[in-house]
Amino acid sequence: MKFEFSRRRMLGAVSGALAGLLSAPAARAAKATVQKVFASSGAPNGYDPYKHKWLMCFDVDKCIGCGLCVDACKTENHVPQASHYFRTWIERYIIKKPKPGSDRTRGEVLVDSPNGGRDGFPPTVVPREEILKSFFVPKLCNLCEASPCTQVCPVGATFDTPDGAVLVDPNYCIGCGFCIQACPYGCRFLNPETKTAEKCNLCYHRITRGLKPACVEICPTEARIFGDLKNPVVDDPIQAFIQKNKVFSLKPHLGTEPRVMYANLDKEVR
Amino acid sequence: MGNKLNPVGGGGWLPAGLASNQEADHMSRFKMPPQIFRLVLLTIGIVVSYLIARQLLTPASFRDFGFYRGAALEEVASRTPVYAGKKACDECHSEVLLKLAKGDHKTVSCETCHGVSQEHAGNPDITPVKLTGSHCIRCHEANPSRPAWFHQITVKNHYTGQKCTECHVPHQPNEVP
Repeated sequence: MKFEFSRRRMLGAVSGALAGLLSAPAARAAKATVQKVFASSGAPNGYDPYKHKWLMCFDVDKCIGCGLCVDACKTENHVPQASHYFRTWIERYIIKKPKPGSDRTRGEVLVDSPNGGRDGFPPTVVPREEILKSFFVPKLCNLCEASPCTQVCPVGATFDTPDGAVLVDPNYCIGCGFCIQACPYGCRFLNPETKTAEKCNLCYHRITRGLKPACVEICPTEARIFGDLKNPVVDDPIQAFIQKNKVFSLKPHLGTEPRVMYANLDKEVR
Repeated sequence: MGNKLNPVGGGGWLPAGLASNQEADHMSRFKMPPQIFRLVLLTIGIVVSYLIARQLLTPASFRDFGFYRGAALEEVASRTPVYAGKKACDECHSEVLLKLAKGDHKTVSCETCHGVSQEHAGNPDITPVKLTGSHCIRCHEANPSRPAWFHQITVKNHYTGQKCTECHVPHQPNEVP
């Protein structure tokens, strides 16, 4: 059989092929909009990530620097014991009085975090009379709206989930460390055992089971506030906290739009 | 396909006899040149092999939630919690929790002082770690960095030689034993 090529036929065939190629992703997208719930054997059954938006905030005035959250996080998430691997840590800020005769409002700012605050904080070497003010600042992954860490991952192993967590897929992480460099808050580290990047995942295995993250559970003063922005209950702790307090985020000038908010934050905190 | 190359338009290179009687026919029809046909075949081959490779290499749950492997969410979520949580304690020790809720220690979770108790929650015969007075000091030792509202003591000036629990009830810190 001889196939006759005509202009009409060729144009028809090419446009048909183009339409097919274009409609394939659209069909896939339509499939993706069908909501997925957890169904695997180990995961909490029926958990729907689209029905939650988890968030953690801090009240700096309530943190007493006991460091129990750091210890709880290490225990819960099997974080390496060595003193430079943390998913959450506490920093102590000491702002000294200005030198006598100077017209500054505040003096030198000292920041320390011995062992991430895990063993509590030893008394400071700065005499009490020289301290203008001092406070503790708990830190963890800032859950950025425009997270630099997920943008640089070359294999798509870190991502924002629909329920507000930023997770690392340990099976796909190649340990290149780009995300560790990209995070402006220093929240990531390379696990020396698994050789994959790690960070706070809001205790994803706990929050999907209806438990609080380990650090929030352990915090004795409720300095850490955790809740669900999509919770229909009006007095959800996080919704009440954001309504009642003037909150601020860390390094807002970087445009990462952190969702982790701090109340009573001092301007010296970076 | 004709075995003559590009007869469209009946160019001058054709034998004169052929050119004259086939010209009208060639003007009306478009003949696919063989090199274009091969290029189209090659393009289709490349596209098809790309689609097959993509089908084989893309994880099954990709795009379930976004531009990443959806199964990773369930894998991360499937780990077993270590801390049992206050709710688990409330199932058996509700009377202690009611007392706790009246005092200043109402915000303190059970496992803050008693340690990881997941095993104890599953099997009451396993006793949780009992902590000593040094645990009180961890929070209540005076430190200029602690907020002013928080109760603090300087241990060396505060009834040295006595245990904390001789004067304070941990579950009801506002009361005297």
